[in-house]
Amino acid sequence: MVTDQAAGATDVELTLAARGGSSSRWTPWLFRIGSVGLVLLIWELYGRAQDTTLFFVPFTSVVTALWELVQTTEFWDAFRQTFIPFIWGWLLSLVVGIFLGLLIGRFPAFDALTKPYVTFLNALPISTLVPIAVILFGIGYPSRILIVFLFGVIEVTLNTAAGVRYVNRDLVEMGESFNGTQWRLFRKVILPASVPGIMAGVRIGTGRAVVGMVVVEILLVAVGMGRLILRYRGRFQSAELYAVVLALILFGILLQVLARRIELRASRWKSEMEQVA
Amino acid sequence: MIEIREIGRQFNTRDGGTFEALKDVSFSVKDKEFFSIIGPSGCGKTTLLKMVAGLVRPTSGQIVIDGSPVSGPGNDRAMVFQHFVLLPWADILTNVGFGLEMRGLSRRESREAARPFLDRVGLTGFAEHYPHELSGGMQQRVGLARALAVSPDILLMDEPFGALDAQTRQLMQEDLMRIWDVEQKTVIFVTHSMDEAAYLSDRVLVMDTHPGKVREVLDVPLPRPRDEAVRTTPVFNELTSHMWHELRGMIGDPTAPAPE
Ligand SMILES: Nc1ncnc2c1ncn2[C@@H]1O[C@H](COP(=O)(O)OP(=O)(O)OP(=O)(O)O)[C@@H](O)[C@H]1O
Ligand SMILES: [Mg+2]
Repeated sequence: MVTDQAAGATDVELTLAARGGSSSRWTPWLFRIGSVGLVLLIWELYGRAQDTTLFFVPFTSVVTALWELVQTTEFWDAFRQTFIPFIWGWLLSLVVGIFLGLLIGRFPAFDALTKPYVTFLNALPISTLVPIAVILFGIGYPSRILIVFLFGVIEVTLNTAAGVRYVNRDLVEMGESFNGTQWRLFRKVILPASVPGIMAGVRIGTGRAVVGMVVVEILLVAVGMGRLILRYRGRFQSAELYAVVLALILFGILLQVLARRIELRASRWKSEMEQVA
Repeated sequence: MIEIREIGRQFNTRDGGTFEALKDVSFSVKDKEFFSIIGPSGCGKTTLLKMVAGLVRPTSGQIVIDGSPVSGPGNDRAMVFQHFVLLPWADILTNVGFGLEMRGLSRRESREAARPFLDRVGLTGFAEHYPHELSGGMQQRVGLARALAVSPDILLMDEPFGALDAQTRQLMQEDLMRIWDVEQKTVIFVTHSMDEAAYLSDRVLVMDTHPGKVREVLDVPLPRPRDEAVRTTPVFNELTSHMWHELRGMIGDPTAPAPE
């Protein structure tokens, strides 16, 4: 009898503990889903309250429109026309940004040499370069690639350079004490120690590149998703218009999540170290 | 032979002035000698050791090893750092092999070669652990193994046992004695422990502070090989209490009781 009670009490405690543990792990997700759900609900209700679907449409109509849209080849053609230059510009911004960032972070002379351009690009709203890009390269892939590239490259460069510059001095000194070549010191100490900075650059740069892609779609409307936007706007097909924008947003979010994942994975040693500290 | 010739070192301070960390430091360390440096915190022991390692340049004077002036790090020297300085992203075995990797071995070769040194510091089971999973004392032993792995002629040790508990410390001292007996390296050993300095060394340099300079160099007339019994001999006690008298005045509290 006594033992039964004791066992019962323990069970309850265990369940409570288990529930407490899992609820704390899921709490952020609950909040996220809750907050997004709330906004969507308001959107839906506000949309339904409208007299006309010309300007504002309920969320469910947008989802339906998107669902129909993704079954057309036209949508995927447009998507490809947007996506391919984006991928090129984005990858180029990562490769060039990391390379430049490593040089800038490692060699003060190179930093001084490139500083005017980096500062210029960093201060300038890249959108203002769109007309110039069009004049120089037309509205085809080269312009689109260039703009996405310019949007992304600065953040990648600056974050990588900061990552290299702020590598722990003691680590570098320890590496030097073993009397290897500069190249080995770079590969075995400085580069791995810079990974968190580089990855922050990749994440932020990816976000910027997505912004670049959207800017391109809105300013260069002759092909791709931009053309769909223009057409649906012209015909007051608001549900479809929203659907295209939603597709772009979803794509951007997907890339962000991906970049964040990669960053966390590559910088794991750092977060583990900080947990200990 | 390592000759430290009239070494001085100044650092720039924040307010634009200079701070004299070391002044006119001269002494020499013989081949295969176990040489300890003891002195109050901030007297420039680490700075001095890093100069021998070729990591810090003296502002005046020079360091000469076997006739040639030190101008940077060399394959003949390896340093054990006061704050361990392990690679946080690499596991323990890679950390121990790091020096070999810097000297041109592949990752695989150096990990292979690092294994016996990991055994030697008693961390056999921790090859695949990461530094943050180890205690301070264990990390310190990794730092020691890393330095031993490159088989240096000169071992520069900056308070290598500072983070160890008393028992481990004693075991590591004995281990170091044994390694040193067999491999016959020149060791410069920085410590805060008078007991440790007397137990391990052939000679002990006592440093003065503000600015850091040589106070005196003591001979340790204890026969080798030494064992625990040596710590209770009159010579040993005389030596440690002499060091205590020397150091006590610098720390500024003449009434403080002797530690250890
Ligand atoms: N890079 C530096 N810049 C400015 N001052 C420095 C630098 N390195 C050392 N110092 C100063 O030089 C002095 C000696 O430092 P050092 O680290 O050599 O002392 P230490 O004897 O090893 O002390 P501890 O026993 O606490 O380790 C200290 O006052 C320190 O503040
Ligand atoms: Mg020190």
